[in-house]
Amino acid sequence: MTTVLLVDDEKLVLRSLEKTLLRAGFDVVTAVSCRTGSETFAQNAGRVDIAILDLNMPGFDELPKAGAGLDLLSDLKKQRQDLPVVILTAYDEVNKAKDAVAGGASAFFVKGREQGLVQLIQKILNQD
Amino acid sequence: MSDPRYLPRILYIEDSESARSLVRRLLGEKYVVLEASDPLDGLQLAEETHPNLVLLDHNLPHMTGREAATRLSKTLPNVPLVIISADTSGGARERALAAGAAGFIPKPIDVDLFESQIEAYLNGRREKLDEAERHLEAYQQELVERLEGSIRQLSQTADRNKYLLQQNQQMFSMLERRHKLLEMAARVGQAVTSILDLDELLEYTVDIVCKEFNLYYSGVFLVSDDGQWAVLRAGFGEAGRVMLSQGFRLAVDDRSMIGKAVRLRKAQIALDVEGENSHFKNPHLPETHAEMALPLIVKSRALGALTVQSSRLNDFTEEDITSLQTMADQVAIAINNAQLMLKLETATAELVRTKTFEAIATATGEAIHWVGNKAAPIPASVRRAREDLSYLLAVLWRLKGSGVDMSPFNEVMQSALDEAQAGGLDLQKIAEEMSAYSPKRLSALLSVESLIEDFQIIENSARTILNIKEDLIGPARQIQAERVAIKPMLETMIANMGLPHGVVTLDCSDEINAHCDPRQAEQVFNNLVKNAWESLVGQPAPAIEVRAQRDENPQYVLVSVRDNGCGIPKEIQDKIWVSFFTTKGGRGGTGLGLSACMQIVNQNRGKIWLESEPGQGAAFFVRLPAALEVQ
Repeated sequence: MTTVLLVDDEKLVLRSLEKTLLRAGFDVVTAVSCRTGSETFAQNAGRVDIAILDLNMPGFDELPKAGAGLDLLSDLKKQRQDLPVVILTAYDEVNKAKDAVAGGASAFFVKGREQGLVQLIQKILNQD
Repeated sequence: MSDPRYLPRILYIEDSESARSLVRRLLGEKYVVLEASDPLDGLQLAEETHPNLVLLDHNLPHMTGREAATRLSKTLPNVPLVIISADTSGGARERALAAGAAGFIPKPIDVDLFESQIEAYLNGRREKLDEAERHLEAYQQELVERLEGSIRQLSQTADRNKYLLQQNQQMFSMLERRHKLLEMAARVGQAVTSILDLDELLEYTVDIVCKEFNLYYSGVFLVSDDGQWAVLRAGFGEAGRVMLSQGFRLAVDDRSMIGKAVRLRKAQIALDVEGENSHFKNPHLPETHAEMALPLIVKSRALGALTVQSSRLNDFTEEDITSLQTMADQVAIAINNAQLMLKLETATAELVRTKTFEAIATATGEAIHWVGNKAAPIPASVRRAREDLSYLLAVLWRLKGSGVDMSPFNEVMQSALDEAQAGGLDLQKIAEEMSAYSPKRLSALLSVESLIEDFQIIENSARTILNIKEDLIGPARQIQAERVAIKPMLETMIANMGLPHGVVTLDCSDEINAHCDPRQAEQVFNNLVKNAWESLVGQPAPAIEVRAQRDENPQYVLVSVRDNGCGIPKEIQDKIWVSFFTTKGGRGGTGLGLSACMQIVNQNRGKIWLESEPGQGAAFFVRLPAALEVQ
């Protein structure tokens, strides 16, 4: 079963996304910050197939930081270079999209159409 | 060799060393030769040593040999005086004898005869003077003439001295005046360069020029941006006021001294304005008789010009011109500085505006982000709820279809199922699909728990968004300021927050009273303490120190909330006030707290700020107006 690592500091968003993914048939592990996201991935490295990371959340120093998701992106890529990663944000940030892709993200996704995320994940994983 | 003590002494008064050495050689064996190069010394020497004979050169400094002879004959009446002279003109020998000389030896000395001549005189030879009276008279005449000459010389010298003294005095008073003027100019220059407000600077300049230089009028013109006009910016006295109110200006051309001074960048001076073509007859300044226009130049650019006008003719001396120009140069620099200061202020204001806009733009962006984040779960939750509903209805349909009696609900169930059908739900199809699912999947789909949760998600998300309104509008609510006793307010607030015992300490004396809206003030402090608490999560020994005291400025009180957390990094210290900053969900951290706090505090005529060094916690300071003391 495909396992998704989901990291977002917004509780309601996290839960809702998790339920959508579960109902679509994925297995989900969650975390609420860069630090816990990195740790959770390390603990589940064997089975995580794709990571979905929110862009804005507390950074590794636990302080709010814009674009902290990109830090976690590079951290996870260090842990596993070929890990597919999708960066989430609440509204379009074009320049951050470029940074995300430059940092190795497979895609950039605007939150709100959760079903679209499911399709995106399927597309990415089927391409591999 | 004879004992010199007994040798006759001969005194030779002669200023030429070579003559003296000749005589020394000629007479030195038989006589003691005493020498003097100056007749005054010679006279003294004669008195002291009583020579047996005195030889005098005729051509001596300070007095003639004859005069010396005359003097000597008084002091040494019996000593023969012999004059040696190259003057062989008629009467020279006679005059010498009339002067009291015993003999006359012409120069150059006959070396063969000399010694015997001297011996003869020593032995009493006296040359006779024929017609002694005549020669005596002539000699006296000579003396008188010489005396008169000396007197003339003396009085000329006295006159000359008087003249020089006068000159000195004039020079001295001129220097004094120049010194005073330069001092004045330097003082003015110094004062003027420290004034950065342009209008104040120009007013001060014209005032001081008129007062210190005792002038009728002074004014400062500054060149307009297009360089065409010199516009009056300050003017002394009533005339100045009137002209300023009329927006008086002069074209930068040769028709006025000011215009010319600006155009040519050279001082223009008219000591008598009637004769000066470019003097502009100003109806407001009828008493001007002398005028100067001094350009104000900085780095070869004329910023404007200074006019000084006197009611007296020819009133400006060289010194005045020099010191006024010196002062004008200083004023030009000061004006340049003031203008640069204005530019700097404008640029800074612009920068602040831009930064503010940037901050607002960032905050707006963050606000949008925030709302998006809160709203994002809603559509998904609604979709899930709708799906769950359709599954439940499908089960209901199957139930109905199985013929079970569900009275008294039979009719209402049927109509519900019909509505669902009419609403586009193909319940049969859904039921068939569901039949194919595994039990595990089925329980996931038919989870009422999940349904309730989804409704909760929808409700929480929407509520959070709505609550923002309260936070946004809150600060704008009308404030009702009153006298607030700070200590009881803080004590109650801290007690109600329910934080673990001992975390919050309060240091506040009883007499601290502020003038503010108590509800809003409490909102602010509550927010600050809550933020502090949230930042201390994970700290082994969390401590929040709340302190209230009189501010340094007695019109204010100062409340501070300090935590021992990790501090707030410099990069976000500015952002915390404007930004929508937080990523924590739920009601706890909307992130609007601090900007709302700032609005409230400002509205209450106070000030709020942060002091924090990394690793040393954060301290928020709130300064509020102190309540007026009750008499």
